[in-house]
Amino acid sequence: MIIAPTENILQILVVLVLATAAIIITKRDIRSLIKTYALQSLLLAVMALVLFVVTGSLTLLCLAAIILVSKVWIIPLFMGQVYKKLNIKRDTQFHFLSPITALFVSIFIILFVYLSFSTLLSELSRFNPNLFFLGATVGVSILFMGMIVIFSRKQTLTNIVGYLTMENGVVLFSLSLTELPLLIEFLIILDLIMLTLIATILAFGIDSTIEEFHAQLNPFAYSKDGKSQKTLEDER
Amino acid sequence: MDTPTLVLAIYALIAVVVLAATVLSKSHRIMNTLAVGLSASYITLTLYALLSVDLPAYGLVSNYFLIDHLSIYEILIAAILFLFAAVYAREYVESSIETNEMNRSNLKLFYVAFNLLLITIVYAFLADSLALFWILAELTTAFSAVLIVTLNAPKNIVATLKYIFITSTCMLFAFIGLILIFTLTQNNLGVGTLNWSILMTIANTLSPAIMFAAFIFTFVGFAAKSGIVPFHAWLPSAHSKAPAPVSAILSGAITSVGIYGIIRIYAVASQTSELPKISWFLVSFGLLSMAVAALSMLNQVNLKKLIGYSTVENMGFLLVGLGLGTTTAIFWMLFYILAHAFTKASLFFSAGILHHQFQSVRLARIKNAFKLQPFASWGLIVGVTAMTGVPLFAIFLPKFSLLIESAVVSPVLLLGLLVIFLLVAAAFGIFMVRLFSHSEKAYDSDLKPFRAGWNMKIPIVVLIAVVFILGVVFPEQLTDFLNAIVLELGVK
Repeated sequence: MIIAPTENILQILVVLVLATAAIIITKRDIRSLIKTYALQSLLLAVMALVLFVVTGSLTLLCLAAIILVSKVWIIPLFMGQVYKKLNIKRDTQFHFLSPITALFVSIFIILFVYLSFSTLLSELSRFNPNLFFLGATVGVSILFMGMIVIFSRKQTLTNIVGYLTMENGVVLFSLSLTELPLLIEFLIILDLIMLTLIATILAFGIDSTIEEFHAQLNPFAYSKDGKSQKTLEDER
Repeated sequence: MDTPTLVLAIYALIAVVVLAATVLSKSHRIMNTLAVGLSASYITLTLYALLSVDLPAYGLVSNYFLIDHLSIYEILIAAILFLFAAVYAREYVESSIETNEMNRSNLKLFYVAFNLLLITIVYAFLADSLALFWILAELTTAFSAVLIVTLNAPKNIVATLKYIFITSTCMLFAFIGLILIFTLTQNNLGVGTLNWSILMTIANTLSPAIMFAAFIFTFVGFAAKSGIVPFHAWLPSAHSKAPAPVSAILSGAITSVGIYGIIRIYAVASQTSELPKISWFLVSFGLLSMAVAALSMLNQVNLKKLIGYSTVENMGFLLVGLGLGTTTAIFWMLFYILAHAFTKASLFFSAGILHHQFQSVRLARIKNAFKLQPFASWGLIVGVTAMTGVPLFAIFLPKFSLLIESAVVSPVLLLGLLVIFLLVAAAFGIFMVRLFSHSEKAYDSDLKPFRAGWNMKIPIVVLIAVVFILGVVFPEQLTDFLNAIVLELGVK
């Protein structure tokens, strides 16, 4: 059982994680998106540490360490390098949803998840029910919020941040629900593989030259010989 | 070591040897022979496992792996597809390099990813722990994405990114589902487990409501892998941009990984009292996929996209079959996986020859196909005929039997399915007419016929022959084998 002050700390952490997700939905500047993501991961690592102090389970300590190394340090660093290489500062194009609408949609998502979980999960509980519900609800809500980022933004870098946010949602969900032996760690490592793959494809296009790919990234740009990207594609 | 563990170890041993040799080899010929050797040896080993292992063997290697009839069936289908794709790839990839579609420096990457993909698929089918299955399924996305992006075009990059984002995003939902199942078992047993074989034994004690929720979450992930509407957006573009042998694998083996995951979770969830809800859920998603795919096919101008949408339609039909849920329905649905994979591969192989002839598979670019590529044209026509479910081909029997099963449930369902099949047949028919009818007026005399060698032709001939033979004679051994799968899945 978790004692009261720790429970408060954990609740505050969960709410802060939710706040970072809201920032990720609305931010346009890619560099601050990456920083917000690192902050969100740091909050999760602190959560895992607090839970470790309470329960004494070594898996949690291990998880906190992995989150710190990969999600707070390596991934943001790597993303920062790709960002520099691609030379895109801001992601200003949106599909379907503007940031403000997206924020409203997420509020409804949180309500929906809360309502469906409060009936569904009443049979299961490991911790103090309040914390358990809060963590599970926020975790799945962040999953959906990350998905909104993926579908409403055009830049692949922003999409990657969206994907990583979703994955943080999964980590939060599993942290509040149960201890999965080794599983979450695998998920994170797998994530690193996927991320490296996407970024390599994105930054170097494996074969297509950087110029060619920049034209692709920006559909309205014109290539060197004055042809629009569309005509280039038609020729191909 | 007992036999099942030994078999698992030999799979790994072959994998390591072939991968190392591929990395070290210098010529395309050797790399291709290694890929052919890998799939051929996997087929042999799987057949050996079928004969020598006492099936089903659960909980192997500290509960991570299993060998049962379903996994052997799926591995055989995948390995045979890879065998044909590898034979076909030798010439296809060589021509792609000559036409500057692919860089020679990417050749090694292509074959390493090709072999790794088969290895991960095989181990995914052998996974007892659903978490392990999830991880391996996610890795198949990564390796197949590499295969698509080895071609030299920005459009491939876009298609690949779309593929990775949609499937990985949805697979995270599947992970939530797995966590739910794990917590549920922890609640019931004290120790959490994700082992399919254990889940099957305790399935009827699990809470139906949470199991249903977990089923929906996992369904989202695996449905994205198999291209079910509304998670299908990646499939047509990835299938049309990938090299033809890779398209065949994507359509037959990668989508099978998704369907396999759905089947496994269904087997557990169907033991609970939520079975009727799950059945309706599957049937409606299946029907939706079929309808959307059929309508998208009608106005298609790209041959490989047309075939890709047909895959979406067929995956939808598989879901309908699973949703019907009777022993007969599951039996024919399992056979349909095989029939579809082989027929679809032959179609993609024929389309690949046309692609090398015209450097495109769009209607506007394909002219005078019959004169330039009589073999591929006939391959396409026979393949399409088989695909629409004409009698004497393998797809006819399962389609017909599933239709009868659906009529038992509701005549409206039968009517819906018939209308969709009609639309699909019409879409294929219209496309074929448009493809082959404008030959004379725009004959490009400069175009030299692309000479497809036996490596490209034999796979098409053999696949169509197999599909034809399976449509005419249904071997008794196969009946017993499929019945064994149905029994192991606990279908009542």
